[in-house]
Amino acid sequence: MATDTAAPQIDVAPPRGWRTWFTQENIITTIVGLIVAVAVIVPLIALVINSFLVLDDLGFDTEWGLQNYREVFQGRVIRKALINTAIISTGCTILATLLGVSLAWINARTNCPFREKLEPFNLIPFFLSPFVGAIAWHNLASPKVGLLNNMAKSIFGISFPLFNVNNLWGVIWVTGIFFAPLVYLFVVGSLRRMDPSLEDSARTTGAGLFRTTMTITLPLVTPAILSGAIIVFVTTAGEFGVPFKLSAPFGWETLTTQIFTKAVGDDANHYLGAAMSMVVGVVTAFFIWVQHRIIAPRSYTTVTGKGFRPNLIDLGGWKWLAFTYNMLYVCVAVFLPIICLFFVSLHKIWSGRIIWSELTFWNYQKVLFFWWPESIQAATNGIINSFILAFGGASIAMVVAIIVSYMIHRTKGFGARLLDFLSVIPIGFPGIVLAMGVLVTYIRTPIYATLWILLLGYITRFFPYGQRNISSIMMAVSEELDQSSRMAGASWLTTLRRITIPLLKPGIFAGWILLFVIFLRELSISIILYSAGTETLSVGVYYLSNFENEPMTSALSIAQTVALLICIVIFRKVAGKEALTA
Amino acid sequence: MSDNNYLQVNHLVKYFGDDRAVDGISFGIPEGKFLTLLGPSGCGKTTTLMCIAGLHKPDAGEIRIGSDPVTSIEKRINTAPEKRNIGMVFQSYAIWPHMDVTQNVAYPLEIRNMAQSEIDDRVAEALKIVGLTDMADKNATQLSGGQQQRAALARAMVFRPRLLLFDEPLSNLDLKLREQMRVELKRIQHEIGITSIYVTHDQAEALVMSDEIIVMSKGHIEQTGGPHNIYARPVNQFVSNFIGVANLTEGRIVGNGGGGTGTIEISQGGENVQLPCLLADGLSEGDEAYLSVRPENVDASREPMDGPRIEGEVIQSVFLGNCLDCRVKWGEFEWKVLAHSRERLRVGEKVYVRLDPDHTLAVKP
Amino acid sequence: MSFVEIKKLVKSFGPEVAVAGIDLSVEQGEFVTLLGPSGCGKTTTLRCIAGLEHPDSGDIQIEGDYVTSVSNEVFLTPEERNLGMVFQSYAVWPHMTVFDNVAYGLRIRRETRAAIKEKTTKALDLVGLGHLAERYATKLSGGQRQRVALARAIVYNPKVVLFDEPLSNLDAKLREHMRIELTRLQHDVGITSIYVTHDQTEALVMSDRVVVMDKGVIQQIGDPESIYAEPTNAFVANFIGVANLMEGKLLGHDGELTDLEIPLGDGRAPIRLRATGAEGAPVGAKIILSIRPEDILLHLEKPAEAMNLIEGEVIDTVYLGNFLDCQVQVGPHEVGVQIDHFEELDTGQKVYLSFTPDHGLCLTE
Repeated sequence: MATDTAAPQIDVAPPRGWRTWFTQENIITTIVGLIVAVAVIVPLIALVINSFLVLDDLGFDTEWGLQNYREVFQGRVIRKALINTAIISTGCTILATLLGVSLAWINARTNCPFREKLEPFNLIPFFLSPFVGAIAWHNLASPKVGLLNNMAKSIFGISFPLFNVNNLWGVIWVTGIFFAPLVYLFVVGSLRRMDPSLEDSARTTGAGLFRTTMTITLPLVTPAILSGAIIVFVTTAGEFGVPFKLSAPFGWETLTTQIFTKAVGDDANHYLGAAMSMVVGVVTAFFIWVQHRIIAPRSYTTVTGKGFRPNLIDLGGWKWLAFTYNMLYVCVAVFLPIICLFFVSLHKIWSGRIIWSELTFWNYQKVLFFWWPESIQAATNGIINSFILAFGGASIAMVVAIIVSYMIHRTKGFGARLLDFLSVIPIGFPGIVLAMGVLVTYIRTPIYATLWILLLGYITRFFPYGQRNISSIMMAVSEELDQSSRMAGASWLTTLRRITIPLLKPGIFAGWILLFVIFLRELSISIILYSAGTETLSVGVYYLSNFENEPMTSALSIAQTVALLICIVIFRKVAGKEALTA
Repeated sequence: MSDNNYLQVNHLVKYFGDDRAVDGISFGIPEGKFLTLLGPSGCGKTTTLMCIAGLHKPDAGEIRIGSDPVTSIEKRINTAPEKRNIGMVFQSYAIWPHMDVTQNVAYPLEIRNMAQSEIDDRVAEALKIVGLTDMADKNATQLSGGQQQRAALARAMVFRPRLLLFDEPLSNLDLKLREQMRVELKRIQHEIGITSIYVTHDQAEALVMSDEIIVMSKGHIEQTGGPHNIYARPVNQFVSNFIGVANLTEGRIVGNGGGGTGTIEISQGGENVQLPCLLADGLSEGDEAYLSVRPENVDASREPMDGPRIEGEVIQSVFLGNCLDCRVKWGEFEWKVLAHSRERLRVGEKVYVRLDPDHTLAVKP
Repeated sequence: MSFVEIKKLVKSFGPEVAVAGIDLSVEQGEFVTLLGPSGCGKTTTLRCIAGLEHPDSGDIQIEGDYVTSVSNEVFLTPEERNLGMVFQSYAVWPHMTVFDNVAYGLRIRRETRAAIKEKTTKALDLVGLGHLAERYATKLSGGQRQRVALARAIVYNPKVVLFDEPLSNLDAKLREHMRIELTRLQHDVGITSIYVTHDQTEALVMSDRVVVMDKGVIQQIGDPESIYAEPTNAFVANFIGVANLMEGKLLGHDGELTDLEIPLGDGRAPIRLRATGAEGAPVGAKIILSIRPEDILLHLEKPAEAMNLIEGEVIDTVYLGNFLDCQVQVGPHEVGVQIDHFEELDTGQKVYLSFTPDHGLCLTE
């Protein structure tokens, strides 16, 4: 008999008490957790505290009070900005959702011609700067210098301006077309992953094509649509560049443009700025919470690893209409703005008309040739700083992302849960809100007015993007892959180096480039935290737009856009064609 | 006697929160043998395996391999998994997708800083044993499920570990392949002679492959024995029900004929029947017990037979090709009967059920 | 004219011919199973009937009406055919309750509120899910989802219900249970059913008639007993159940019996055997002898008198509890033998096999 079953009963109490807490893994996760917590939480706490400090009339002393909040909800100017923000966010969400869902459906589920070719173009706005988009549309469709208006005038003899984007509608239009890819990304993946027999069974039950689409297909992707819509709403509420360029100069302020004037303007009032940021932040954080906790878990099309071949709908002759619709979107969101900017940038003075005899590359010299004495400092500084920040920031953020993901998915301590929670928080707060927090936290420290404070702001706000990239792979990669390396005789560190990191490599590269792109075009954090000498690319564009002229602004915008387009090409090469849409 | 065992596990306890996943179990296995831990999910079998591997730390107990105590909670010993020199094959195959087959298999040898020429020899040998020589340069992602499982086995044994652990390695394969791999795995283990512990919830797998089976439930050991012993002489209701298919009904021991034989009385709808049977250890006259008999040891015929009479009605007769899967209703109880397919019993027929006394058991509740 | 008539159905995917000209008729109320390995064209045939695929040529008639006729350019969309279909992935809509899932087809048919309520409740009671009507589909187990899918497919009383491997995602125990349950339901409702599976047991248990397919072509049509007992070719013999197939030469006919010889190679004398089948074949023709493992008797000692005695050596045994699978080497052939009791057999041991002539079946190519 090889075994001995008659073992005496051993009584061992389950492990309890504080002593058992001190395991290696708990200690390490907690230390890393604390660093991330300080970076994420402290600015928010500072924001809360500062929002309750009220500046006296002379602007020297402060006292505790609710006056700032009273100002936000009752003050004439700010209350109007609050309402404008609500209108813009709602309008943009509706427009972006309509665009995103229809385009996703056309691309994923119909036989629309050239849809594989169109898909990458549909996603380009996702990578570009909406601020630059606003500048382009300002030059396309503002009443005086709008190219489209002037063309309408000269070709059709229309005397009044056909378009006017210098109002809330203009902001809704530009944010809507630029944020449509966010909805598109959520929905197209959901449509592609759907089990086709869900629709087949409706057909065999007796439902026609239209009825199946309305009662089965669309309801099934509703969670994805809602998720996309919420992300758009939150992103728009925190968007600074578009309203700043298009509507604010014409009297349509938003909360973000108001926060900006309170952060840096002549009548700077950080305390009031903090209160406004709080209002925006509470709303956006609530929506993100709803998305994470209520909508995302109800998603019907989770990744099953099963390859489905989705049912394609034969549109017949209508497919050319679908194609035209999609082309129209790509034109207004990508081609038209870039072409317009390019022509504007070739003029010394822009009057709303292309004057073929006066085209010159002079503006590019001014904004790109940093060695040239006549170059504009803010622009050339911006280029250099942005590349430093994008390179350094993306690298550091990815290291943080890898460590945090590892802790979340491979350890089970209290720290793991803390980190999981902390890495959602920054997503809930728009860049300008978090930047306000960082500003009031570090304004009296030596890192203020250096690139370091920008780096800190960037990483804190955006490391979750990289972390989600890594986490999705880590969840797909079985823990047994690590364990079998340990069983083969490799230590924890060797396993990390030879198995875990190599497995994550595609995710690391993709995440790095994504962050590089985000940092290269970042505006709303930079605009709060920059000072003379630490301008970024987008701040340079802002500076030129505010203090120089449209052609020079367009030149730098084109330079930034070209850099971003190169990144997209690299991203598609590295991450694969379906990295975003699968 | 436990000194003869190559692997010895004593009084192993493991909690998950307040849940006692492994409840003080002890067992051992001699060198070169194939031991299977068999039980339903949540019975503690995988946890036990993880403790042996060193991937889980038990809350009490000790584990010894040869003369090396790898875990002893009392003596504060818990060797790291990579220092135990144990090979393990996982359910998900866990073949590293960023390496080819050769790199996967060579990995444990590289970790041990072996000379390249020896690595090459050993990898080639291991791949030959598992029949993957032609696949050496293939990427892990190009392999089928069965091939990945073979590569995982090659990787687990290439460094000649002291033990091979298997965590439900066949459960992700389809039925045909699974049946084929069972036989194959057993052959390879025989050939390399490494002491193996295999975890599964599939009783057929355990019966086919093992030298010794430990049936577990709720963190306890229910029965230990060879495959035939476990199947033919289950000691209690749980084992009888979990291994194979059994007719199980409550009864009482009414006679003890000595030599392990006796009589069990079962009743249904006021009808009492006394049946000769084999008694499980520890059962004596007057005890509550369960009657256990396999469907293949039950006959149903239209004519009455000798011995105790059980008359019922056929309520199901399903053609399975080589046999008929029948149900005969007797009172509230349904006898499962495997009849020869040429019998052609029809639903609604009255039949007499007869149990083979050599295979009729009385087991503990 | 049968209830469902399929004529000369052909369907290719690119260069690959999935269905290569199939003729099939199904009677009203019949349960017909399309059985074959993956890629044999069975699912494509089913999807053509459903209207989910456009065939390249051929006609399909249901109740005398053309639903597909390539030559006449008739093609009814799936929703115009009034069929029910149950899918492998269940395809229960997760955004609806169980009740709404089942009621969907009735609402499309604009039935009254009361009728919808009544029919849906009846269908749910039929599949045993009446108590879960208000539950969301995501909260159901695999078996329950399959019942919802079934209720949804039959609730509006379609002409035919199509089943596309509906049980293959369930675990073994549940699958066995659902087979019986589905058969019972189909008998109760009496609805014409076409069922696709690769599982031969499923086909044998459930069907009135089995259509065995391979490479896009029908190999044999018949009731389960005849398919199992009288396969017409080697593919069917081996696909339905397990069969030992050995090539040999026809020596002559003796009434119902057939004399044949199986060459053993290596200068050894061929064995002469008596079996059945190959009635029309001429003397000297090449035939394949098919014997089921459970029809072969295994003897440890040479029996005094036995029909068709064959000598061999044990290669391997696999113990499965209710029987022992034994591989025996006979010349170049590995013969599988299934014994219904436990026997200690050593590898290399000499054993004797025999079978009665009516268990051996000669097949011609």
